[in-house]
Amino acid sequence: MMMKRHRRLMTATLAAAVTLTFGTLAMAQDVKISRRIDSNNYDPHKTTATAAAEVLFMLADTLVTIDYDMQTLHPGLAKSWDVSADGLTYTFHLRDDVKFCGGKSMTAEDVAYSFKRWIDPATKSPVAWRAGEVESITATDPTTLQYKLKKPYSELLYQLTQSFAVVIDKESVDKLGPDFGVKGMNATGPFCWGEWAPRDKMVLTRNDAYTWGPEIYANKGPAKVDGVTWSIIGEENTLTAALMTGQTDVSNYVPPIALQQFESMPGFVTSKSQSARYTYFVGFKLDKPTVSDLAVRQAINYAVDRVALVQDQLYGTVEPAYTYITEDTLDWNKDVDKTLIKDFDPEKAKSLLDEAGWKVGSDGIREKDGVKLAPVLYSFNGAWINIMQQVQAELLKIGVNLQIQTFDATVVWGKLATQEYDMFTMGYPYFSAGDAMNLYFRSGNTPAPNRTNWKDPETDALLVAGSAATSEAERAKDFGKVLYKVHEAVNWLPLYHTPIIIVQSDKLKPLKAHPIYGAAYYKGLDLEFTE
Amino acid sequence: MIAVILRRLGLSIPVLFGVLVFGFLLLQMVPGDPAIVLAGPTAPPDVVEEIRRSMGLDQPLLVQFWMYLERVLVGDLGRSMISNKPVIEELLTAIVPTIELMFACLIWSIPLGIAMGTVAAMRRGSLVDRAVMALSVAGISLPVFFISLILIQAFGVSLRLFPFVGRGGPLWTLDGLSHIFLPALSLGMVFIGPVARMTRSSVLEVLELDHVRTARAKGLPERTVVFRHGLRNALIPVVTLVGLQTGYLLGGAVVTETIYSWPGIGRLAVGGILSSDFTIAQGCILAMAVTFIAINLIVDLLYSVLDPRVNR
Repeated sequence: MMMKRHRRLMTATLAAAVTLTFGTLAMAQDVKISRRIDSNNYDPHKTTATAAAEVLFMLADTLVTIDYDMQTLHPGLAKSWDVSADGLTYTFHLRDDVKFCGGKSMTAEDVAYSFKRWIDPATKSPVAWRAGEVESITATDPTTLQYKLKKPYSELLYQLTQSFAVVIDKESVDKLGPDFGVKGMNATGPFCWGEWAPRDKMVLTRNDAYTWGPEIYANKGPAKVDGVTWSIIGEENTLTAALMTGQTDVSNYVPPIALQQFESMPGFVTSKSQSARYTYFVGFKLDKPTVSDLAVRQAINYAVDRVALVQDQLYGTVEPAYTYITEDTLDWNKDVDKTLIKDFDPEKAKSLLDEAGWKVGSDGIREKDGVKLAPVLYSFNGAWINIMQQVQAELLKIGVNLQIQTFDATVVWGKLATQEYDMFTMGYPYFSAGDAMNLYFRSGNTPAPNRTNWKDPETDALLVAGSAATSEAERAKDFGKVLYKVHEAVNWLPLYHTPIIIVQSDKLKPLKAHPIYGAAYYKGLDLEFTE
Repeated sequence: MIAVILRRLGLSIPVLFGVLVFGFLLLQMVPGDPAIVLAGPTAPPDVVEEIRRSMGLDQPLLVQFWMYLERVLVGDLGRSMISNKPVIEELLTAIVPTIELMFACLIWSIPLGIAMGTVAAMRRGSLVDRAVMALSVAGISLPVFFISLILIQAFGVSLRLFPFVGRGGPLWTLDGLSHIFLPALSLGMVFIGPVARMTRSSVLEVLELDHVRTARAKGLPERTVVFRHGLRNALIPVVTLVGLQTGYLLGGAVVTETIYSWPGIGRLAVGGILSSDFTIAQGCILAMAVTFIAINLIVDLLYSVLDPRVNR
């Protein structure tokens, strides 16, 4: 009797062990990607979060795709396109073999619906402006879409590579109503919506019918893994430890302090994106009594050793910045080089301030006409604090008393939309000179995102002209002029450019990081286990 | 007994109303603007304004509170301002892992704390007593995040015995049990200290009482004296403490859940507050208050079981 019971117990234990083992093996083909924060939702038209773009590029497709260099365009859902000579009409010729996850074939009607929803005022999309001034969007036949503009928009094709411009299924939007992008979405990407537990995980399953991947991938589809699980690990030490112990396969949110450790650790591979499209900077409010003086802004740029800053605070994992966008960005103007302050020269900074009449007071802080050179800086909590303290220490050496005030994520955006401060910190993604310049230097964008209060009619005119240019050369010339103007005026203290750095387990084949909107894995078609 | 329950439930109503008012006002005082968070940092001001209007954030405070109260009274806690999911759905999803975690913490830490306190009392002044007290002080003094990081380093990274990210499978599976081990251990470490100390002092006090002396005089073995005549009486203040501490566990769970990415209500509350998701944050405050009240009610009922004089 006893023996029988023992045997039964052993059999049950064995069965449980086998189930667990096979359960684990069955799940082994799911790639586990970890990140720090989740998106607010996954409706492509209602969020600007990088966390949303990361997932949306896998769930859905765009008409146009972009190479790792962030300059070369490739076909996506559109096989090809024609642009009219006046730059007002774009005709997209679509693939006829594309299917939604639900099995329905994709047609030009679906694309037209997606774009119309994007720009519809009822959608209240914070990124509707990225679609340009649209006259009409029409599906002329099942595989042809006509996109007509009221005035030329030279960056349209680049905007159409972004996650806001993905194609979605109308039926899915109608059926889910306010739950679209929350409880599901039907699209044409290499992965399909599995399950979203906000602030915990997003599970994607492979779209087995997928064969229309972009040119940049050797694998055009279907994906080589069964699925992708995006986990949220808010605590950076836990995320690092999870990667070390194989509880996650890959992450591009490893803190800088741990990156060097991973580089020398067996079993891990780290890789950087070919180029950086994310820049961190300190901006000056140009109409404030202290930093309105060009000499002060120049002196601050000379006084901050950005090479040391990058080494001390970020362990050399990023590139020191002297420009507002990286020099390999689309429409960069080489002439801007002449205006850059690359030297770390505190003595020059002091002499600039002396010449401008900022005299050192008894307390070591400079002043002029009764105004102390003590600009107030608004910044974020977290890593920014140490970075700005290093900047503060260097500025104190030239007699500038930087007063730092940092705020939590809940508060900071509201505070940054005020005029209470003299300087502010920011980091931002961009894909071209026009993208960056339009965002931060268009006078209509004050007080935010144009927080410097740069109001210059010539800049506005150039931005309009650049956006309306009908040739690449013309566009580059106009945006290039804006780049020159804002660099010459020393509107910012650029700090560093961050490439995307992926740390992965060697259980996965080496990945190539894509810089698009910080979405390192882009379509996820190169995710593949080595075994 | 029913009268006790009804009386306690009646007393809970003003407490709950207070929590509603306090939770609402607290989040109004936080200077964050959910409209800006929702629109994103690059959104133009008119878009932000439109979002603010559509969310009713431009209404006077009293109107906003009245709208909130009306909804809560019919069991509608609204939808998350960020994810658009119904708050009640998010709370129900998150409360299960939190209850699991609290249960897993209490199931080992209460008996161990009581056992440690009792042994310390029985061996008063000995090395064992001093060791128990030292451990208790350590448990009380060390913050839960520190204990968690040490445990992750030891059991997760160095020994690789237990996973420390997320919830894993259901609690009755090996996967579920292995995932809950470290969070429950971390949370329990801060729980043992006060329980052991309270048990020790309470047992010491009871062992001096007349009925215990009588039991000893009858020649009963010391173990029987302590367990049958001492411990039951000594447990009354311990139960009160356990009730209060269990309420505070909700606070500890906020930290533990964040570190271990445990998808419970603490993590939901932190996420809601950090993302200016007012409806989620209000829902979490309400859910935590209800849990706290429920725990206190259970403690009161246990009290009347352990000490029938309470009902008189």
